[in-house]
Amino acid sequence: MYWLRRAWAELRDEVFVLPSRTLALVWALGLLLLPLVYDDPYVLRILTMTCLFAIFAASWDLLAGYTGQVNFGHALFFGAGAYTSALLSLRLGITPWITIWAGAAVALLFGYLAGYLCLRLRGSYLSLATLAFPLIALGLLFAFPEFSGGELGISGLRRLANGPTPNYYIAAVSMLAIVLGLWQLADSRFGIVLHAIRDDEVAARASGINTLRYKLAVFALSAAAAGFSGALFAHYLRVAGPSTLEVALSFQVVIWGIFGGVATIYGPVVAVFILYPLTEWLGSFRSFGELRLLIFAVIVLLVLLFMPRGLTPWLRDKLETACPRCKQRNRAWRSVCRLCGAPLSGADAKIKPA
Amino acid sequence: MLRILATLGALALASGVQAQTIKIAILGPMAFVQGENHWAGAEMARDEINKAGGVHVGGRRLQIELIRADTNESNSVPDATNAIERVITRDKADFLVGGFRSEAVLAMQEIAMDYKKLFLGAGAAHSKLGLNVEQNYERYKYWFRIAPTKDVDLVRTLFAVLGSIGQQIRTDLKTDTPKVAILAEKAIWTEALVAAVQKNLPAMKMEVVGTWQPSAKATDVTAELSAIERSGAHIVFTILSDVVGITVGRQMGERRMKAVAWGINVEGQKEEFWQATAGKAQYVSTLDTFAEVEMTPQTVAFVRAFKARYGKAPTYNAATYDAIMILKKAIEQAGTTEADKLIPVIEKMEYVGAAGTDTWDKRHDLVWAVGKTAGIAVQWQDGKKVPFWPPSVKGMQPFKMPHSN
Amino acid sequence: MLQDILVTGLVNSGVYALLAIGFSLIFGVARIVNIAHTAFYMLAAYCFYALLTKTGLGFALSGVIAVAAVTALSVVCYRLVIEPVREHESAVLIATIALALIFQELMLYSFGGNYLGIPSTLEGVVRVLGVSIPYQRLLILVVAAVMLAATWFFLYRTRLGLAIRATANDLEVANLMGMNVHRVAMASVAASVALAAVAGVVVAPVFVVDPFMWLAPLVTMLAIVVLGGLGSLKGSLIGALIIGYVEAITVFALPGGAYLKGAVALGIMVAVLLVRPEGLFGVAFEEER
Repeated sequence: MYWLRRAWAELRDEVFVLPSRTLALVWALGLLLLPLVYDDPYVLRILTMTCLFAIFAASWDLLAGYTGQVNFGHALFFGAGAYTSALLSLRLGITPWITIWAGAAVALLFGYLAGYLCLRLRGSYLSLATLAFPLIALGLLFAFPEFSGGELGISGLRRLANGPTPNYYIAAVSMLAIVLGLWQLADSRFGIVLHAIRDDEVAARASGINTLRYKLAVFALSAAAAGFSGALFAHYLRVAGPSTLEVALSFQVVIWGIFGGVATIYGPVVAVFILYPLTEWLGSFRSFGELRLLIFAVIVLLVLLFMPRGLTPWLRDKLETACPRCKQRNRAWRSVCRLCGAPLSGADAKIKPA
Repeated sequence: MLRILATLGALALASGVQAQTIKIAILGPMAFVQGENHWAGAEMARDEINKAGGVHVGGRRLQIELIRADTNESNSVPDATNAIERVITRDKADFLVGGFRSEAVLAMQEIAMDYKKLFLGAGAAHSKLGLNVEQNYERYKYWFRIAPTKDVDLVRTLFAVLGSIGQQIRTDLKTDTPKVAILAEKAIWTEALVAAVQKNLPAMKMEVVGTWQPSAKATDVTAELSAIERSGAHIVFTILSDVVGITVGRQMGERRMKAVAWGINVEGQKEEFWQATAGKAQYVSTLDTFAEVEMTPQTVAFVRAFKARYGKAPTYNAATYDAIMILKKAIEQAGTTEADKLIPVIEKMEYVGAAGTDTWDKRHDLVWAVGKTAGIAVQWQDGKKVPFWPPSVKGMQPFKMPHSN
Repeated sequence: MLQDILVTGLVNSGVYALLAIGFSLIFGVARIVNIAHTAFYMLAAYCFYALLTKTGLGFALSGVIAVAAVTALSVVCYRLVIEPVREHESAVLIATIALALIFQELMLYSFGGNYLGIPSTLEGVVRVLGVSIPYQRLLILVVAAVMLAATWFFLYRTRLGLAIRATANDLEVANLMGMNVHRVAMASVAASVALAAVAGVVVAPVFVVDPFMWLAPLVTMLAIVVLGGLGSLKGSLIGALIIGYVEAITVFALPGGAYLKGAVALGIMVAVLLVRPEGLFGVAFEEER
């Protein structure tokens, strides 16, 4: 009984006070309850893919948004997870439930390696160097076709579960868990250090922070999450091919990340949930289905012109304002801050959120 | 009396409410030549069948309805799997035809088998698709390959033609062992073929002077061609499926090479090849499927009708025409559209189609036979694809060599 | 074989130099990583193809019109799409990616996904040092050299070039000195895309034209620019020579490994970055507020 009251108190005081958190709760519940009311396999398939790509996009944001290491080759980790899990489960016969973790582990190692190589690089140099990594990996894969399956990849993989609904739940639950975990991490002391590194690495080092360790850790963590989603992806499609490493996928996640809003974790998730089903839906129209990539690019461009910081910061600003005195966020239509009582509108409230 | 009438009326209503059409989904990369041909061949079949009244199914006549599904498989495998799931669950397709990129078709095959829908392939040559049928018949029996023959059978055709070209070289150039340079794109599908060629050529009294493997997307093969010229090869044995086929055709022509190109050159099968090589691809020869020759009594009529309707010649993907006709024949023979009942009918069928005379083995792959399913060989001469093999089929023309000019 | 490598490497480098120098110019002045740079190169190739086949204009006139049209388009795109989001670096980045995708899809829609061939401006081959080189490739080399010289002249001998170099050096001070920074940025965008367009017109007959032809040169060009140092024109030139020759050597020395040439070039770029994090001649940028 105590726990119920505690949960209700938490909900009332922490979640419902902010529209964005309420929306997030509604969305999470909606995702989990959807198959009970509507179990069209096609819709579940789209949503499963969306969840997997959402994990991928959120992991990119941790790396790019929080430490400023804009990774143009994030597909490397995705592909590493996919291929590792595929190879282990097909060649050695290990159950996919174990190999997906192995895929994440190998991706983590790749992340560490990539991070190490990029330690001394800054800005655009780092971005373009990371662009090269998956391409080099692709070259190596094609150099050993018996091992990697060449341009066909590895096919005939086992599913994690049978049927659209169980697979959907695996993807959705993984996504919610990982995104929540990443968000908690970004919101904690660890996240503050990351912000510091991005804004001024020299100052952070002068303050005694071992920035190298943090940068490597973020690379590894982000890679592990991406690798996990890659492994799930491979077992869902039952094929792990070179398409998991291609430049287009790396660019796609950059678009999702920036469109949704960097340094938010939930921003790219929102972006994936809007853009991926949208492009799929556009593709189902017979008349202009073949133009869907064009429409996608135009939408991205237009949204960017009006919301250059990304979609979710813009939305949040419409729904919430920050209190000028205590800096905590409030519902936009409130007149006084819920925590410190300072007036939110009028002449006194001038400070816009950062 | 009233009750009998009422029951009859109800029955009539019930059967009327049933589907009036047979829905066939055509899956292919619709923005590209392969998908265009998938769709074109299917349209020709649908119009022909519907105009003749439709398909006989146990006393009723049903029209064919086509569902166009752009798989975008050349760019994205998930797009293809999404598309096939959509046509099965949303559009309620009864049958699935098409496919092109092997990586995507392998993934699509899984979904089709999950839903136990007949999936007739009209583009991917990878053996694994048929191997699945042999290794797990109960699951994969719904897959049949209508075109092309599986990759290892392509080699047999290649050798057959190579033999006759080699013979022509022996007589023209008065040399005992013609020299062959292998030019195969670096890809997994060529590995087995390259090995087979290297092993068999000496037995055919031909010498392999070297193997060159450019990237499938190579836009410059100067290095390879220079080396091949230096080796003195008479024949360039091509195993190419992508852009590199165009590059090879164009640059060989620009260099006025004395060697002649024969082999698989998928780009060389397209009408646009001559334009894409800026008119330089004289003498390039390749395996192909459709030409105005009497492979079967239907071929010439089909090719002419296709050209009249679409303005260009069909590629092998237009075998969707044969696929739909095969479905019609099987449905009419079995009297039902149920997949499980159609499978044994198709397995035993011998179908004389536009592309060839088709029979299937236990992998649901085409049984290879010259003049029936082995296809034809064409050579580009003065802007046109001229068929020159097999000599047994009516309409063949002579093969020209660069040195004979 | 050595002569093959020497000649092919030179021709490759010429093409890459045209692309890389344009890219470096934009980055140096406007700090924009223009992912759509090679997409403009593709547009110029298509425009050239369309003019050649649909109208009766000759090679020279079609080429000039194609370059002019694409350059004009780039300035329009810059005004409409890039300038409004200039302050947000990440937004500029995906704006250029989106632009490139739009161009790709437009070309796919208008011309289809088939590979197109453009007739060569000059037919025939010539034998140099025992290597037969088509005249078209020599033309590429000549045009590349002329354009590079013209760029050097433009940047180091004209007032506008001086303004561009000043803006690249320090944007704020240049602004304070009275240079119209917007105009200078537009001029450098125009110059850089003009170089890419010339590359497209001259190179297209040698390669195949398809809506995805912008991806492969993009990666190689980025490797070159990073290798040479972002913002350094000298670095781009030298980087182009290095990568051009590395690719030629890979292809000639390893006949079975020709497909690796992209990976090798990128590997060299990564190796150089490990040793010199700003590229060979790059400048480490101070944090710009």
